[in-house]
Amino acid sequence: MSRRRVDARDGADNDAAGDREDDARGQETNFEVTRTWDDLEEVDGNLAVTAISEAEKRRRLLKDTTPLQRGIIRHLILLLDMSDAMGEKDLRPTRFQVTLNFTIAFIREYFEQNPISQLGIIAMRNGVAEPISDMSGNPTEHIKAVSRQKAAEPHGQPSLENALDLARAALFHAPSHGTREILLVMGALHSVDPGDVHRTIDALVADKIHASVIGLAAQVAICHELVSKTNNGDTSGYNIIMHEGHLRELMMAVTTPPATLEQAKSASSLLMMGFPSRTVDTQPSLCACHSRPSREGYLCSRCGTKVCGLPSECPACSLTLILSTHLARSYHHLFPLVNWVEVPWSSANRSSECFACQRLFPEVPSREQWHDKDSHETSSSRYECTTCHSHFCIECDLFAHEVVHNCPGCQSGLATAGLMGEVEMEDGHLNGYDGNAMGVES
Amino acid sequence: MEGADGSKHFGGDLPSQEQSPSLLTIILDTNPAAWALLHPTLTLSSAIADILVFINAHLACNFTNQIAIIASHCDKAQWLYPTSAAQKPPGHKHGRVRTTQHETEDEDDDDVQPASNKRAKLNGIPKTDHGLPSSMSESESKKYRPFRMIEEEFIKNLQSLISGTSPETVQQKTSTMVAGALTLALSYINRRSQEYQESITGVSSNLADQAVAAGSDPHADTASVLQSRILVITLSPSTDLAHQYIPMMNAIFACQRLNIPIDVLQLPLPPDLKQPGANNVSDASTKSSQSSTVFLQQASDATHGIFIAARLEPTTDSKSSSRQTGSNAGDGDATSLARYSMLTYLLTSLLPTPTSRLHLITPTRVDVDFRAACFCHRNVISTGFVCSICLSIFCDQSLEILSQEGCITCGTKLSVRAEGVGGWGGGKRPIVVAPKKKKKKKGLGSAVGTPRPGTPA
Repeated sequence: MSRRRVDARDGADNDAAGDREDDARGQETNFEVTRTWDDLEEVDGNLAVTAISEAEKRRRLLKDTTPLQRGIIRHLILLLDMSDAMGEKDLRPTRFQVTLNFTIAFIREYFEQNPISQLGIIAMRNGVAEPISDMSGNPTEHIKAVSRQKAAEPHGQPSLENALDLARAALFHAPSHGTREILLVMGALHSVDPGDVHRTIDALVADKIHASVIGLAAQVAICHELVSKTNNGDTSGYNIIMHEGHLRELMMAVTTPPATLEQAKSASSLLMMGFPSRTVDTQPSLCACHSRPSREGYLCSRCGTKVCGLPSECPACSLTLILSTHLARSYHHLFPLVNWVEVPWSSANRSSECFACQRLFPEVPSREQWHDKDSHETSSSRYECTTCHSHFCIECDLFAHEVVHNCPGCQSGLATAGLMGEVEMEDGHLNGYDGNAMGVES
Repeated sequence: MEGADGSKHFGGDLPSQEQSPSLLTIILDTNPAAWALLHPTLTLSSAIADILVFINAHLACNFTNQIAIIASHCDKAQWLYPTSAAQKPPGHKHGRVRTTQHETEDEDDDDVQPASNKRAKLNGIPKTDHGLPSSMSESESKKYRPFRMIEEEFIKNLQSLISGTSPETVQQKTSTMVAGALTLALSYINRRSQEYQESITGVSSNLADQAVAAGSDPHADTASVLQSRILVITLSPSTDLAHQYIPMMNAIFACQRLNIPIDVLQLPLPPDLKQPGANNVSDASTKSSQSSTVFLQQASDATHGIFIAARLEPTTDSKSSSRQTGSNAGDGDATSLARYSMLTYLLTSLLPTPTSRLHLITPTRVDVDFRAACFCHRNVISTGFVCSICLSIFCDQSLEILSQEGCITCGTKLSVRAEGVGGWGGGKRPIVVAPKKKKKKKGLGSAVGTPRPGTPA
């Protein structure tokens, strides 16, 4: 048996310590107990690995796909711990290197999923907060800055208050129609602060900043309080990693736009944006953003200034310039593809191969073999889309849900398409993007 | 002394000389209405013949090259090669491997006889299980077997697809399901890449992970990754694709992420021939290219592919009326000219693999129109208003309605930034600092008068 989550308290003295202890104790029962030796199956003297790997893949897929209203325009500050505790070798080669590698992957994925959002990175080292890169929408800058940090060593003590103050300042200029978020990756179990960190947390709440924390070692009460206060008592944003893969999963989960909570609804507004076209000249001219000569660029729709890359802000008139494809990139968050269901053996003989990739399915065995010794039904490896009723293999399931966000069956004419591409069955029953397109999570 | 005995050649210092296999997926627009419009210039059968020559050329470049063909029909997207199980006749239980006994097709030289003849003969010859049918000429048995097998399946499936379409469906649905075909192609590429990766390195990883690994390490050996690309041959008018916007965009972003170039060969539909006086051929062709598929242009641009708006007829100064009343010989010339030009486009521009293209200058459009169309009037706009909740784009004509009734798509009440420089970055109003009240000598109460402008740290 492996118990992975251990509770620890920080040493801060506080009157409310008693209440917090009760809170924390209530969470002790959330353990994940894995008995991996029980999961193995033996078939004819060989270990059957396919069932487990399939189950693993399915687990990754099954997330909530109700179409929630999400904050698409995001402003996220990433706080990285670079104190002595990050030099621990429980993640290979050190926690620090692993975190930096995952940060680079995170940056790429973040800008792919949220092209009109901005990101800033701050580090905690030697008791002060150091800005690594400023808030911007350009991934290469961030990646360069983080790569430079790889050579540096983690040192000193982390200071939560300084980092949160710096983050709050950086988010000050973020407009109200976008989200304001902080992601803190904390490896240490303490914090050295010059003043009262609780005041800082209250200031964060006043500024409507939401924080989430990924802990690398153990649960720390001050982080717990940070997450709970900034998210109205919801502590699902605070997670402790169990292993390296889990850290990567948690970081990538942050790239999905957060669901909007009820009271934030009033912050919606209509933004003016420009959609420039690319022009190519015979003579090179300077671009306004970097003063580098180039022959091709985009002209701002309002003032005609040339910028070299999109999305960006016109340096002259501050108009946001984007391509319609950048907006289109976020549509799959608003219209998510519905999960597919596993097909029982009884209806499995309708198909012999995957509809999308023509991979052959295992043949339907005789009825006795439908259940294994524990009377669980064995997997037929077929997964069905509830709208078009075509069968797919697990690889196409993963691929369609994680990369393409389209169902091959629905798109191939087995169901008709509506105006925004939402799919309807022939009899008018709305699929996939079911019910109200913009449900708000309350 | 290393160079003296030539041992360097075997030391592995040289980069691998093998080319990695390449998978070409062809998406063929088989909208019958559109092909009927194109009929005087280019018949479907001659286009199929050209495509077959192109496929043979692709397979000849490298022994391990693979191919897949998908038909994008007016109401569905269907596999043409490899044949899916749903299309196989019930006798084919052990279906995939075709033996020479199942020869059902005549072989002619492609340049001489159009492929319509082939299809006519397809119906005539019965399938025999033993030996070759007696009526087959010698040249078929000498045809290179992989080429022949692909041809057979392709033409057979295409014929069953077209004969299975009823006239009502052709009338009702005028567009073509490109998004569905793209999704099918992507799933197939994913499967093939995984199989290839597994056969080479023994470790299976899905396509997204392969793309990330290839992206982060620019010096990685590209021979271990299957190079795939998608070629779309299209002729339907573009306006009908608007309702497939989101699925197409999803497919395009997936291709971008996986480094799969999308090449587009667009065959122009002729101008409306009902008007006898239509004089300027070149004028009409530019008009049709302006209404060309903007989504596919954006697709090939975003994925670094090639977009070619083919011109099948030579631009001449003669009026088109003379073309209409021209002799048979004249028409025949135009047809074969159009046919050869399509083959030329295919063989010269669209044959090289993605890595070879790094060393070539590829023909493509540079002036891609990226402007958005507003959701309310479908006008193309260069400046618009975007709802922050649902990201729909509106033009300024709708501003009145929007500020009163909220967003048209999602219904949220919206506040329009009135200062005219809306959006983030702009519209920074200086924060008004309330004038400091003269401190009444109350001592501790002075905290009220001090404003908190929140100056950034």
